[in-house]
Amino acid sequence: MSTISSAPAPGMHQIDLSKLNLHQLAKLKQQLDQELNVFQDSLQTLKMAQGKFVESGESVEKITPESKGKTVLVPLTGSMYVPGTIADTDNVIIDIGTGYYAQKDIEGAKDYFKRKVDFVTEQMEKIQVLGIEKSKVREAICMMMEMKVQAQAQAQKASTS
Amino acid sequence: MAEEVQKKWQKEFEVFNNLKKEYHKAVTQKQQLDSQLNENKAVKEELLLLKKDAEVYKLIGPVLVKQDLEEAKQNVAKRLEYISKEIKRSDGNISALENKQEAVHENLNKLKSNLDNLKIAA
Repeated sequence: MSTISSAPAPGMHQIDLSKLNLHQLAKLKQQLDQELNVFQDSLQTLKMAQGKFVESGESVEKITPESKGKTVLVPLTGSMYVPGTIADTDNVIIDIGTGYYAQKDIEGAKDYFKRKVDFVTEQMEKIQVLGIEKSKVREAICMMMEMKVQAQAQAQKASTS
Repeated sequence: MAEEVQKKWQKEFEVFNNLKKEYHKAVTQKQQLDSQLNENKAVKEELLLLKKDAEVYKLIGPVLVKQDLEEAKQNVAKRLEYISKEIKRSDGNISALENKQEAVHENLNKLKSNLDNLKIAA
């Protein structure tokens, strides 16, 4: 009843919650709270990344053969733009990480962004699963703490009455 | 007698705290290396997907410089090797620090119980 049986990762021991005293339970709960916060932050960051990739994918869709020769405004600085014309509507240059940029055709670019979106979504799902498990453990610790506090209160009443 | 033990305990405690700081640094470093490894792996895969005549550019400062595809692939492979080595080293460092921390922790407990016994006896 007081053991948590989510499969422990190799190297972790199964902890019997009822054997821990209130102080240790509080520390454990704190630790779990921190971990849950990290998960939340990671989820936020991943969501932003996902949004960016989706946006890039949509922008690529807009570059079609018909847009060849159309005027666009090209930013030179944060507040200065120059007019330009789209010369190449078949290829785009994509940031693939660590300072490398690769030239791809429109289809390849769309595929790239789709793959990135899928990758990020997968990672988000993994984190959500972990987060739910940790929440369960945290809940169990809270319950155990309440039980202990009650038991202590009763013991005190019994000794003073 | 108790004072000596107390001083020893405080010194050990300082050692313990320093070790904790070092351990956190090492863990953060390993996390950074891990993320770099993953990023470079992703770049390597993208480069493999490119056709032979596709152009690859490297960002050097504010300039995009054209690179040879083969050269870029080799560069990334070398980086991956280097980062993997660094990660192994970092892992070794982390386990060594863990062991040290445990030893100091035990020492601290021993000293504390020594101190308690002395106080009781006094």
